[in-house]
Amino acid sequence: MRVTQSMLSSNMLRNLSASYNKMGKLQEQITTGKKVNRPSDDPVIVMKGMGYRMEVDKVAQFKRNLGEVNNYLDSSDAALDQVGVALKRAGELVNKGANGTLTEDDREKIMSELNQIREQIQDMANTKSGDKYIFSGTKTGSPLYDKNATPPGYPDMTNPDNAGFGKDINIEVFDGVSLKVNTNARDLFSDIDDVFETLAGNPDQAAFSAAMTSFEEQFGEVLTMRADIGARQNRSEMMENRLESQEGAAKKQMSENEDIEYEKVITDMITEEAIHRAALSVGARIIQPSLVDFLR
Amino acid sequence: MRSSFMGLETSKRGMFTHQSALYTTGHNISNANTLGYSRQRVNMESTSGYPGVGLNSGTMPGFLGTGVQAGSIQRVRDSFVDQQYRQEANKFGYWESQTKAISQMEDVLAEPSAYGLQKSMSEFWQSLQDLAVNPKDGGARSVVIRRGEAVADSFNYIHKSLKDIQTNLGKEIDVTTGEVNSILQQISELNEQITNVEPNGYLPNDLYDARDVLIDQLSSILPIETSYEKSGGRALAIAEGTVTITLKMKNGDKIELVNRNRFATLGTDPNPLVAVDGSNNPISGLTIQSSDGTKYTPEHVDFLDHGQLKSLMNSYGYDTQTVDANGDKIIKGLYPDMIAELNKMAKAFVKEFNAIHELGYGLPPNDAANGTPFFDPAGLEAGSIKVNSDIIDDPTKLGASGAPGEEGNSEIAKKLADLQFGAMNDLDGATIQDYYKGVIGKLGVDGRQAENNTLNSATLLGAVEHRRASISSVSLDEEMTDMIRFQQAYNASARMITVVDETLDKIINGMGVVGR
Repeated sequence: MRVTQSMLSSNMLRNLSASYNKMGKLQEQITTGKKVNRPSDDPVIVMKGMGYRMEVDKVAQFKRNLGEVNNYLDSSDAALDQVGVALKRAGELVNKGANGTLTEDDREKIMSELNQIREQIQDMANTKSGDKYIFSGTKTGSPLYDKNATPPGYPDMTNPDNAGFGKDINIEVFDGVSLKVNTNARDLFSDIDDVFETLAGNPDQAAFSAAMTSFEEQFGEVLTMRADIGARQNRSEMMENRLESQEGAAKKQMSENEDIEYEKVITDMITEEAIHRAALSVGARIIQPSLVDFLR
Repeated sequence: MRSSFMGLETSKRGMFTHQSALYTTGHNISNANTLGYSRQRVNMESTSGYPGVGLNSGTMPGFLGTGVQAGSIQRVRDSFVDQQYRQEANKFGYWESQTKAISQMEDVLAEPSAYGLQKSMSEFWQSLQDLAVNPKDGGARSVVIRRGEAVADSFNYIHKSLKDIQTNLGKEIDVTTGEVNSILQQISELNEQITNVEPNGYLPNDLYDARDVLIDQLSSILPIETSYEKSGGRALAIAEGTVTITLKMKNGDKIELVNRNRFATLGTDPNPLVAVDGSNNPISGLTIQSSDGTKYTPEHVDFLDHGQLKSLMNSYGYDTQTVDANGDKIIKGLYPDMIAELNKMAKAFVKEFNAIHELGYGLPPNDAANGTPFFDPAGLEAGSIKVNSDIIDDPTKLGASGAPGEEGNSEIAKKLADLQFGAMNDLDGATIQDYYKGVIGKLGVDGRQAENNTLNSATLLGAVEHRRASISSVSLDEEMTDMIRFQQAYNASARMITVVDETLDKIINGMGVVGR
């Protein structure tokens, strides 16, 4: 085949531009850390990548949701713990009050302390986490125990407007999996309050004895609720572990799918660089002196 | 009987002819880097011998040569390779233009990336999850609204950018048809010049070259066929004549683009494609005032899928001349298809999202039955989707709750967040993300294919180009060798004259002086 200078130089240009092209791709891969940067680079990787990204974002979000779940459960548990402590103290006091040797005066003193405890428990019913009343069902903006109502008290559940106080709050922790995070303690608090109310109406020895059993019952109720919360905390923890491993798996899949192996790409880059250098030096030789230079 | 001065004549012809050859060598060297130049060579031929053939020609023992003459100066070229080149240029023109159009689309969609539609969607769903967790929180509400705006912005931005590129493609079609018209005119003018020269027995090599460059250019734009017609008069057998260029159509029809000094004029239908208000009219076809005077109005489907022009039409969008069930024109093409997909997504998304949102209740004082759409129901297309301004102005209207007066109720917010995984009827039962994934996947496959085809046709084109260069391009070494060859022959001819001169000197000055 007849070969001319212009063929060599156009070949050389083609080769140089091809190796620049390859280096450009590799450079893009190294700077972005990704194998693909546009759908046409590899449609399959891109499509899979979009799926994995969605998965990673989703799992991260569910993990964030779990944070709120724990917040709710921990606050509820802490509040009910306080309620339990208060009930225990109330139990001690009524036990003392049930003693027949006490005078009217002594019982009055006990009553005043019991009133403090009653108020404290009412405050517990209005425990807030952030700006939310955690025992108010879905009516998180309203206190469970309304001091400003006449008479002050817990919501009347026969009123349909108050239905929200008895509703559950569910937080999604996985596709279609929700955890109930609040505790419907309206009846508990209301029952405790009723005991205090009855006692306050007629604080004699017999009433104190009756209250003693009632407080014990309510204390049992609190323990049941806390056991339930504990069970849910367990579940949340399990979910957290599961999400953790899921996140790891999703990120790993995403990375395996679209991230470059630096050692491979850098090696490719070095190889390409060597090829390019060779192409350049060959190019420099191709523009050789022609016969012109030797004919004098 | 030979004449005394015949030797002088023979050598003079040698000198003249080699001078022509030397000058042609000079011309070759000068044009070593001219685009489309083919090297030329002098076809030397020996002149007829002495004596001439005839009844009254004298008889002599030998048939004496009378020297050389430059019979013709011909360019070295292989028309078969030209034809191959044009076929490959045709394919390359198509795929290169497709690759460009698809890669621009990929740039706009920016997938996969941290700022594409998918990401803004994903962030929107996340913000809805946050809202579902904290339905009362003003911050969570604003984030949902802002992210909703970001989704709308992404749709709007992509839509506008695609439209802009489409407009540019429309303008490119106009420019390209203009370019074709100009090329056709130039070829016809060259035809004219060539017909003026050839009958005189000349070979206008440089005009041929210029014409071939134009035909090469044309072949990357349109699928064409060429044929040649000899000029009359004393035209040489190797004269190329005028070129007739025809446009190949899908059904095998041929439309004459150039014939002698007549040329066709192409226009788009409709004309112009891009209206004054910037809207894009889909192309239905071309109007071609053929060189034979016939007016053709081929439709888009009639064109072969070759060449840059068809590729541009395919990208820009064409009228299929069919209507859908609603009686609307069916418009196809790379850009209209993508815009339609986005519109379909935006519409399904807004519809389903609003349907759920309208069931929700806001925060006081907007906790009565809501009914407020989250996205402006007037904006059902990718270009017009936007968040309802009522909600932007008053985030308490965001209906997260499933019952009135329940701030902590996030039933609706959760349903909205779960729409992410919800199959949408309008998207053939896919979730919006999956549907979008499919759209991007298809784009990627198309892009990959276009890129591969571009690469393949570029390789083939390169190979043919190489072959053509191997035949026609100028080699300096070769020209130098020729130069020496011709120079030496020139010098030898001159020396020959000296020899004849000396013999004549002998005759004239050295003879007939006996006894003087």
